[in-house]
Amino acid sequence: MTPTSDTTAGSPGGPAPAAAGAAAAPAAPARRRSTDLIVKSNLLLVFLALCVVATLLAPEFLTTRNVANLLQQSALTGIVAIGMTLVILTAGIDLSVGSVAAFGGMTVALLLDHDMNILLAMGISIAAGAAFGAAMGGLSAYLSLPSFMTTLAGLTAIRGLTYLLTDGEPAGGGSIPEGFQLLGGGFIGYVPIVGLIFVAVTVLAALLLRGTTFGEYVYAVGSNKEAARLSGLPVRAVITAVFAISGALSAFAGVLLTSRLTIGQPTAFEGMELDAIAAVVLGGTNLFGGRGGVFGTFVAVLLLSVLRNLCNLLGLGSFFQMVVTGLILVAALILNRVIEQRGARA
Amino acid sequence: MTPQTDTSAPAPADPPLLQMRGIVKRFPGTLACDRAELSVRAGEVHCLLGENGAGKSTLMKILAGSYQPDGGEMLLDGRPLRPASPSAGLAAGISVIYQELDLLPDLTVAQNLFLGGDAPGRKRSERPLKSFGFALRKRRRLTAATEVLRRLGADFPASAVVRELPIAAQQLTAIARALTGEARVIVMDEPSATLGAADLASVFEVIRSLTARGCAVIYISHRLDEVMEIGDRATVLRDGRTAGVFELAETTQEQLVAAMIGESRELVNRTERPRPEGAPLLEVDRAHIPGVLDVSGIEVRPGEIVGLAGLGGAGRTTLLRALFGDGRAAVTARLDGRPLRTGDPRAAARAGLALVPESRKEQGLLLGLSVARNAAVASLGRPPWLRPHRLAARLTRPVLADLGVRHASAGQPVGQLSGGNQQKVVLAKWITRGTTRVLLLDEPSRGLDIGAKADLYRQVRRLADDGVAVLLASSELTELTANADTIWVLHEGRNIARYDPRTTPEHVIAHAVITGASTGATP
Repeated sequence: MTPTSDTTAGSPGGPAPAAAGAAAAPAAPARRRSTDLIVKSNLLLVFLALCVVATLLAPEFLTTRNVANLLQQSALTGIVAIGMTLVILTAGIDLSVGSVAAFGGMTVALLLDHDMNILLAMGISIAAGAAFGAAMGGLSAYLSLPSFMTTLAGLTAIRGLTYLLTDGEPAGGGSIPEGFQLLGGGFIGYVPIVGLIFVAVTVLAALLLRGTTFGEYVYAVGSNKEAARLSGLPVRAVITAVFAISGALSAFAGVLLTSRLTIGQPTAFEGMELDAIAAVVLGGTNLFGGRGGVFGTFVAVLLLSVLRNLCNLLGLGSFFQMVVTGLILVAALILNRVIEQRGARA
Repeated sequence: MTPQTDTSAPAPADPPLLQMRGIVKRFPGTLACDRAELSVRAGEVHCLLGENGAGKSTLMKILAGSYQPDGGEMLLDGRPLRPASPSAGLAAGISVIYQELDLLPDLTVAQNLFLGGDAPGRKRSERPLKSFGFALRKRRRLTAATEVLRRLGADFPASAVVRELPIAAQQLTAIARALTGEARVIVMDEPSATLGAADLASVFEVIRSLTARGCAVIYISHRLDEVMEIGDRATVLRDGRTAGVFELAETTQEQLVAAMIGESRELVNRTERPRPEGAPLLEVDRAHIPGVLDVSGIEVRPGEIVGLAGLGGAGRTTLLRALFGDGRAAVTARLDGRPLRTGDPRAAARAGLALVPESRKEQGLLLGLSVARNAAVASLGRPPWLRPHRLAARLTRPVLADLGVRHASAGQPVGQLSGGNQQKVVLAKWITRGTTRVLLLDEPSRGLDIGAKADLYRQVRRLADDGVAVLLASSELTELTANADTIWVLHEGRNIARYDPRTTPEHVIAHAVITGASTGATP
């Protein structure tokens, strides 16, 4: 029998349980597609609604300058969150992103301070981030240590290393070349360059996930590590690689911050890991791996910064912002769970 | 039904402590219990025997309250017993000690013993968890636990952490926990599977002291020596029915084996295939894990289906996983005459081996992903490494159609399929890869209904006809005799005998599976 014949509810000739399963099946994909659509677009809808509310409440929200600012502020967290999405898709977690970002920002400042070529300096910083990520991910993959612990160790150790670089002082003050400053602080028309970079990173990550074998392996490993291993997949290499990517993107975010501030700050990006994880989860990626994607993360990052921006415009203090952000996260999780359960029933 | 061979004299006036009458339990496609009878007296050790799938564990789960029977009745002390849940069974006095001890390893013995708080029927002074004051509660719990251990004659303190105890002591802890309630009937499911001889002796001592106090012990084991040593009577189950009740003092092991196997089954209906010829494709010179597995001299020709028979724990799964490069076994094997290097599953898959693991949901499938993505996941590792979804759709469409996988669309999550179709997707994973030369099947039909089983084996035979060498492990001997060209019997980690199912009646093979004696083996 051909698979298509099963889309008619009858499915004659098969043993009873199989026939029942096949009969139940036809309705499911269509419903699932629509649930998927709701899951994906519910975030987008909430985001757009929030933008409308923001415009009504604070007329200065929809000014070019505010939107450009907003994009610039969210871009760095966003780039880190994209890397985090890959890690979480394999059912891992990367707590070290903030420290790696700070390290990347400091090294690029120090290297430029020594008059190194801009591209080379950036390359070295980003490679260092990738190496840190690969080391922590590799420990987790090859020694079966929980990534929560290896990256928690990394969070502390790499932050310490960052302070050691300059004994805790900022680096590269005044000697950052102009061309490099454009990268993090420049605009094309009204559009901040970092915003474009964020969009580009998101698109590239999406292509990697959906358009390459590596991406498929990421989903396979996150969905069922044991089954992936027994299918002959290079599970440990995949895990190491996603952590390397997360490390590289974190360091890249650090480089961009140094570019904008024209100085390397060893204290930068404290607590960044939580913002990134919050965005990934809000974006609908399953913390236990195998489900989700970078576009959800992209929208979630924007949503969180619009929320913050709105609180600022309304003159609500940062304490208030923290409470609101927390509540929004909980609400989003509950909403996702409800939709998921509906999907499961269908 | 009445037992076929009741050699016991009817017990005088004394009614049995536990009676299970006409128990029926259906699962999709199978009748696990078919009017099974069990009658257990107070103070006896009653052994429950039977081949894999004879219905032993189903019957015990019904007794414990884990399953609800579809028919029949149970009496405890002459009063009707119908536990709706395991805790209800426990409250009624039925205590089951499972093979995988369900203790909490990081807690102390005392904590484990009184984990559930108070069991009904215990005196107030013995309710440590409900009493006031933490320190007092802790001390009283320890005292109570020590008392239980003393009654059992255990030589370890109640304050010991379970993880740090030897297996025998853990086993005793599980027994002790069963005794903290008012257990009348204690079921022990293959306690010897994890115990050494010395440890077993101490467990036996405990069993005897339990029966001396009027408890009944139902003892499940595959090892007949043990059964003869500890048991008073035995009930043999076969195909879900009671095949006989024996007074063990007057019974030989041979009689038990005969009852377990039954004499009726001869040659099974086989789908005859041409006998595979040619040089062996896979030659396992030796697969060895000290104390666990020692298999040597198994050969599989292209197109041949070699069955692996054996009891639970005989080493079938361990052997297949060892060949697939998973585990700590030292394997010397050749594929096509060249040494086979199976460092890990990835290398094994590259060499042309494929494993359909015993648990398809935990080890075989990516449950959240689609049918096509599952079927293609082992086949994407080739240049240019791009557009996996399109590649998956293209590669898997003919394979899924060929195997007759019933699914609504290639994008349907594999978790929505029926068990048989899920298993076919696992098979499709390796067929799609296209490089599979040796197929290792570990209990491929587990949980499938009869139609799905037949369909699955039809596909396996087709693969063999195409020249794939198949190693098929199954606990259902009938499936092996119906499908395999050669059957190896594994017993306690060794391959002890080889049979030709074309010429050997099934009960001869079953005899070897149970006893480990290789009578009538093909040279």
